[in-house]
Amino acid sequence: MSLLHGLLWPFQTWNDIVLKVGRWISIVAIGLMVVAILVQVFFRYILNNALPWPDEAARFMMLWLTGLMAPMAYRRGGFVAIDMLIEALPKGLGTLLSLMLLLISAFVLAFAVPIGLGELTGFSAKFNTASLYIPTTLDFSEWYRVPRWWMMLSLFVGVVLLLIVNIELILRTMITMMGGTVKDLAPPEDEIMAE
Amino acid sequence: MLIWFLPVFLIFLMIGLPVFFGLLAAPGILLWLSGQEKDITLLYRNVYNGMDSFPLMAIPFFMLAGELMNKGGITERLVEFSQALMGHLRGGLAHVNILSSMLFAGLSGSAVADTSALGSMLIPAMERQGYTRRFAAAVTAASSVIGPIIPPSGIMIIYAYVMGESVAALFLAGIVPGILVGLGLMLVVRLLANRYDLPKAERIVKKGQSLTTKEHWASFLLLRLNLGWVFLAIFRGTTGIASGDDASAVLVWGTFAVCVLAAHLLLMSLRKSVAPDFRTVTKRAVVPLQTPVLILGGILLGVFTPTEAAAVAVFYAVVVAFFILNTMTMKDLPEVLSRAAMTSAVVLLLVGAAMAFKTVVSLSYAPQILADYILSLSENPYILLFLINILLFIVGMFLDAGPAIIILGPILGPIFTDIGVHPVHFAIIMSVNLTVGLATPPMGLVLFVASSVSKERVETIAKAILPFLAVEVLVIFLITYFPAISMTIPRLTGFVE
Repeated sequence: MSLLHGLLWPFQTWNDIVLKVGRWISIVAIGLMVVAILVQVFFRYILNNALPWPDEAARFMMLWLTGLMAPMAYRRGGFVAIDMLIEALPKGLGTLLSLMLLLISAFVLAFAVPIGLGELTGFSAKFNTASLYIPTTLDFSEWYRVPRWWMMLSLFVGVVLLLIVNIELILRTMITMMGGTVKDLAPPEDEIMAE
Repeated sequence: MLIWFLPVFLIFLMIGLPVFFGLLAAPGILLWLSGQEKDITLLYRNVYNGMDSFPLMAIPFFMLAGELMNKGGITERLVEFSQALMGHLRGGLAHVNILSSMLFAGLSGSAVADTSALGSMLIPAMERQGYTRRFAAAVTAASSVIGPIIPPSGIMIIYAYVMGESVAALFLAGIVPGILVGLGLMLVVRLLANRYDLPKAERIVKKGQSLTTKEHWASFLLLRLNLGWVFLAIFRGTTGIASGDDASAVLVWGTFAVCVLAAHLLLMSLRKSVAPDFRTVTKRAVVPLQTPVLILGGILLGVFTPTEAAAVAVFYAVVVAFFILNTMTMKDLPEVLSRAAMTSAVVLLLVGAAMAFKTVVSLSYAPQILADYILSLSENPYILLFLINILLFIVGMFLDAGPAIIILGPILGPIFTDIGVHPVHFAIIMSVNLTVGLATPPMGLVLFVASSVSKERVETIAKAILPFLAVEVLVIFLITYFPAISMTIPRLTGFVE
C-alpha cells in the first residue's frame, strides 16, 4: 500500500500544480478568444477592413484551452460516460470494472502519444500558420511567423496530460480497491454544464 | 471487419467507458486488427482537425455568455417578469417556472444551467406556496429541456458542425418547437391545476422596487429601438418605402427615426394603463432579454455569423453585468471563465473524437448497411420516422444529447436525407428528441441536477415528470409529421430553400 501511495504522490503533485497552471492559461485564452473575435467584428463591420489574424488566433487559443483544460475535467470525472453498470455492481466488482476502463483509456492515450509526436515532426507541421506573427524585438521591427506545430502541440500536450491524469486515477483506484484512502478531487457537477 | 466497430463501441459505452475514449478505442482496435495501422494516425489527425474550427468557437462563447448572465443576476429578473405575466393564473408559479425557462433559453443553450439556476430559486418558492417538492422539481426539469431547443443551442451547434448544416438554419428551426414544448407544458399545468387545486400567486412580489439611472435609460432606449425596428420592418414590408438596395441612407434612417418616435409615443400612451410596479419589473427584464434579440437579430440581418453573434453576446453580457446592473466584479470573472472553459474543453474534445469516428463510419460503409436494414423494415418514411423516434428516445434515456448526436448524427442523418427528409427537419427531430431525453429516467442529466437542487430523490421526480414527458413526446411527433412547424421560419427567412 505504501508503495502505491509513494507512486501516487508524484503524479498527484504534478497534476495539482500543472493543471492549476493550465487552468489559468485557459482562463486567459478564453478571454483573448472573445477579444480577437470582437476585434474582427469591429474591423469588418465598423471599419470595413477585415483583418486576417483574429480567426486563426482565436482558434489557436481554443485548441490550447482544450488541451490544457480537458485533463482537469477528466481528473474530476467530467468526461461523459454511462456509469449505470459500475453503480449497479457490488462495490468491489464495480471498482474492478473502473480499473479495467481506466486501463483501456490509458491504452488509447499511450497509443496516441507516439502518433502525436510523429505528427509534430511530420509533413504538415513543417508549414507556418497563415496569419500569425509574434514580435521578436521590443521595438516590433522584426516579426516571427508562428509555425503550425505550435498549434498542433496543443493536442499532444493534452494527450500527455490526460495520460498522466489517467495514471493517477489508476493508482487511486488500486489504492481504493485495497481498502486505502485517497484525498477527494473536486466534483465536476459545478463545472460541467454542456447540455 | 470494420463494421464491427459499432457493436464494439456500444459494448464499451454500456460498460461505462467515457464516450471520448470509446469513440477512439473501438475503431482504433479494429483498424489495428485489420492491418490498417496507418489509418489510426488518420484518427488522431481528425481529432485535431475536428477541433480546429471557427464555427465550433460559438460553443465556448455561448457557454460564457450564459455563465455571465447567470452570475450577473438575470435569473431573478426573468422570474419576476414571468411572474408579473403569469403568476395570477391557477398554478401560477408552475407557469412562471415554464415561462422563465423559455426566456432563459434565449440566453443560454444549456438545460443543466436552466435547471440549476431556476430550480434553486423557484423550487423553494413553489414549496412555500404549497406545491409538493416532487412536483416543483418535475416542472423545473421538464421545462429546462426547452433550453437547448430555443436558440442559442449548444446541441444544435454541435449537430450543425458534425453534419455540415447551417447553424443559423437550425437555430431558427428550433424557435417554434421550443415554444410549442413550453405551451404544451403550460397546458399540463393548467389541467393539473384544476385537478389538484394548485394555488395562484402574487403577480408582483417585491413592490416599490426602483431602477438605477443606468438601467432605466438602458431599458428606455432598448425598448424604443426594438419596437422601432419592428415598426420599420412592418412599414417597409407593407408599403415598400425605404426598402431595397436603392433606398438612400437618409430615407432609411429618417424612416427609422420616425418609427422610433412612433414607438415612444405608443409606449407613453400605454404608460397610464399599466401599474407602476409592473412597469418596473418589465423594465428590469428588458436589458437581459436583449441578448436573444441581439443574437437572432444579428444572424437574421446577416450582420454576424453565429460565432460572431456569440462573441457579441459575451461582450453584451459583460457590459450588462459590469456596467449596467453592476452585479459582477473583476473578482468573479476567473471563476466564470474557468467554468466556461472547462465545459467547452470537454465538448470540443468530444466533437474532435466524433469527427474522427465519422471518418471510420464512412470507411466502414456502416450507413449503407444500416440504411439497407432500415429500408428493409419499411419504405414508408412516416413509419421509419416513427421507429427512429422510438430509437432516439431509448438512446436519450441512457445517453446525454450531445454525445448521442455526435454518435448517431453521421449514421442516421444520411439515411433519412436519402429518403427525402430535409436535413434541417431531421436535425430538429433528432435534437428535440434527444434533448427531451435529458429529462427521462434512468440517466436523464437534468433529473439528477433537479434532484441535487431540490434534495428530492431522482425516482420520485421521475414519476412526477411523466405527464410532462407525455406532452413532450407528443410535440416530438408533431414536429416529425408536420415539418412546417420547424421549417417555416428558416424558409421564410431564406436560410433553407
